[in-house]
Amino acid sequence: MPSLLQLFLIFVKVNLLSTSGPASVGLLYHEVVGNLVTELQFVQAVGLSSVLPGSDALQLAMYIGYAVAGVPGGLVALAGSILPPTLIILGVTMILHRLRREAWLSSFVEGLAPAISVLMLFTAWKIFQKGGATGWEGWAIGLVSLVAMFLEAPARIIVILAGLLGIFLFS
Amino acid sequence: MNNPKFKVWWDLLKMFLKVNILSPSGPASVGFLYEESVGKLMTEEQFVEAVGFSNVLPGSEALKLAMFVGYAAGGIPGVMSALLGAIIPPTVFMLVVASVLERFQHENWLTAFVAGMSPAVAALIVFVSWELFRVSSRRRIDRRIILIAILSGIAFWFEIPSPFVLLGAGILGVFLFGRRSY
Repeated sequence: MPSLLQLFLIFVKVNLLSTSGPASVGLLYHEVVGNLVTELQFVQAVGLSSVLPGSDALQLAMYIGYAVAGVPGGLVALAGSILPPTLIILGVTMILHRLRREAWLSSFVEGLAPAISVLMLFTAWKIFQKGGATGWEGWAIGLVSLVAMFLEAPARIIVILAGLLGIFLFS
Repeated sequence: MNNPKFKVWWDLLKMFLKVNILSPSGPASVGFLYEESVGKLMTEEQFVEAVGFSNVLPGSEALKLAMFVGYAAGGIPGVMSALLGAIIPPTVFMLVVASVLERFQHENWLTAFVAGMSPAVAALIVFVSWELFRVSSRRRIDRRIILIAILSGIAFWFEIPSPFVLLGAGILGVFLFGRRSY
């Protein structure tokens, strides 16, 4: 059983290394799946946090925390996710003018971006593979969802529909 | 609530609660927040700067954007109001849903629901990864970006821990992009 401190540190780490909610999915997957939560729980967490209103990243963190250690786990995960950006923002607002001239910071982020995208592709593939629906039905659901999202259909509707379709196809 | 300062903080809290109940995700909240705050709490220029900084700094972007807006409108207490408003809705939703779901965890239909959901979730991640790639390389996609993408792909393939890969990619970025003169 992981300690609450361990859980807290994982979320601090993930939130220091990713610049946005969606980008944290890949990193979080590597940190928690297998040792803290199962593949199934992780898929549920990502699906639900994109369906419910409010910040995806915070919901994802809380769901994982809750799954690991109940309500205290959820709150600890929340605290770990909030702490780094809060401290950074409080710091940045004070030195904003100096930071604007630091070119290396934006170069660092420019280098980070393609790596995060690739990490997310790996994560997507793993989630697809272990989700259980790898027959033609699964490929069809995945491809149709992807096309729909590029056509700007709302992601939460697509995720819910895919789940409902799953009930008909797989149960 | 007669003190004008408290009024500002209270208005901020209400505004962020509203934005976070209505918007499904961080990126989606930018649009809502723009309508609610530009012209009333801050200038367009301040807002654009806030969006820029929240994209660059680590941590959840919606949260950082909320705090920037809060700071512009009400200083440090404004940051706290924004933080509270951004945290309360997702916390309540998630804890309720998680506790309800726990009871159904072993039901057959839930397993089937998740099985159907996972290809769509995978598609969502692919989509977001593309969006991220497109937005973050605002200039055209050049050889340096492709190089970093390929190198990190190889690194992930060999299961090098992802924080190291990301740090390495950032440092490589400093070298590759740093020499460019503006």
